[in-house]
Amino acid sequence: MADLYSTFTQLAGGLRFTLGIFFLTLLFSIPLGLLVARGRMSKNIIVAGLVRIYISVMRGTPLMLQLLLVYFGPYYIFGVRLADLDVGPFKYRFVATIIGFSLNYAAYFAEIFRAGIQSMPVGQYEAAQILGFSKAQTFFRIILPQVVKRVLPAVTNEVITLVKDTSLAQVLAVTEMFTTAKNLASAQVSVMPFIVAGVFYYVMNGIIEIIMNRAEKKMGYYQ
Amino acid sequence: MKKLLTMALAASMLVMPLAACDAADAEGSAAATNGKFVVGFDAEFPPMGFIAEDGSYTGFDLELAAEVASRLGLEFVAQPIAWDSKDQELASGNIDCIWNGFTISGREDEYTWTEPYMSNNQVVVVNAGSDISTLADLAGAVVAVQKDSSGLAALEENTELLDSFAELVQVDDYLNAMMELESGAVDAIVMDEIVARYQIQEAGSNFVVLDESVASEEYGVGFALGNEELRDQVQAALEEMAADGTLAEISNEWFGEDITTVG
Repeated sequence: MADLYSTFTQLAGGLRFTLGIFFLTLLFSIPLGLLVARGRMSKNIIVAGLVRIYISVMRGTPLMLQLLLVYFGPYYIFGVRLADLDVGPFKYRFVATIIGFSLNYAAYFAEIFRAGIQSMPVGQYEAAQILGFSKAQTFFRIILPQVVKRVLPAVTNEVITLVKDTSLAQVLAVTEMFTTAKNLASAQVSVMPFIVAGVFYYVMNGIIEIIMNRAEKKMGYYQ
Repeated sequence: MKKLLTMALAASMLVMPLAACDAADAEGSAAATNGKFVVGFDAEFPPMGFIAEDGSYTGFDLELAAEVASRLGLEFVAQPIAWDSKDQELASGNIDCIWNGFTISGREDEYTWTEPYMSNNQVVVVNAGSDISTLADLAGAVVAVQKDSSGLAALEENTELLDSFAELVQVDDYLNAMMELESGAVDAIVMDEIVARYQIQEAGSNFVVLDESVASEEYGVGFALGNEELRDQVQAALEEMAADGTLAEISNEWFGEDITTVG
């Protein structure tokens, strides 16, 4: 029982990093995703082409590989010592994790947002124009609120995947929860730490499901 | 009713992998008698066990293990494992033994061991031209070590040294640690001397091994606790190889001298 208690407290220690990766990635990747989606729909062929390549590469290669590249790339490509890249109290190890995750998830979010934006009927834009709305007003006041409503289920999918993907940070020796679970499992020669870690992940995703369901209901004001 | 069914299903899903484990265990203890000798090793641990340029598994320890297997009339299987899952692999019977520069010191009671077959030091590796030249210089340094390794165990024994570090980073394998060192993410690595020297010599890495070592230790072959039968067979084969010179020959091939300590 004492074992289970220490398993719990130690996993909770790793949970800080897991939550840190989770929230920071959402914070950066959602706005970036919106930007990428706009770029993807741009009438400028060069911008649209570059963004298309970006999305293709991000979705077409493993996140684990991208993390290693973001981490080791500065030194092996540009010769910058990694210790010089620390941002304030954060080691570059952690910063690279956030950059890697944000770039990757932004690509997925961008495609979800694009699908949402393009599903809006052209008539709405025309109506807005006649009513004297500017382009920015049309997008933020009329289109975006409806897009949010439509893309919510797909976004929930990504957010849940993100919770589980945080375990990939172990390749950069970030001591997130799964790393802790593995260390404990090997120290105790038991699968208990894995089961406890599984419960932690499941509870996190359970909370996300509840929040997203509430949000969907709240936005279902026309149904 | 539906709820009950779901719960039963969930419960059976939880139990199933455990049951599978038990089955594997029963098989595992008999694996050596199945005509197979399955050796677990970390595939990123040159020169003891690693992936050769042609993609096959090679290394000093694996060559010894293959020779032992052929002398015992068993089929040799090299099974790469994740180093921090080695206990589960052994306990579940996926592998018969761990033979991979496996340090006895500190693990005496956790495995059934052969006699040590070579000695090793835990040393500190730094970049050439680093300010660090003694263990005392490691104060305030960022140090990397492999997860669940004997280097880590040696540091945990020497808490005074460990506490003087700015940070201890636990990486998955030594190749990763060396990339971290080379790129300046860490200041030093605590690792096996055998591996460090081989890496510096073979890969021409620009690293230096400090004269002071953290701990000295011995390598042995580790079996699941209580598997004396297979241990004794392997031990006998090793002694036979020492007597007829095969051991010295393999050692010469890898290290340029006979550094084994059997017999």
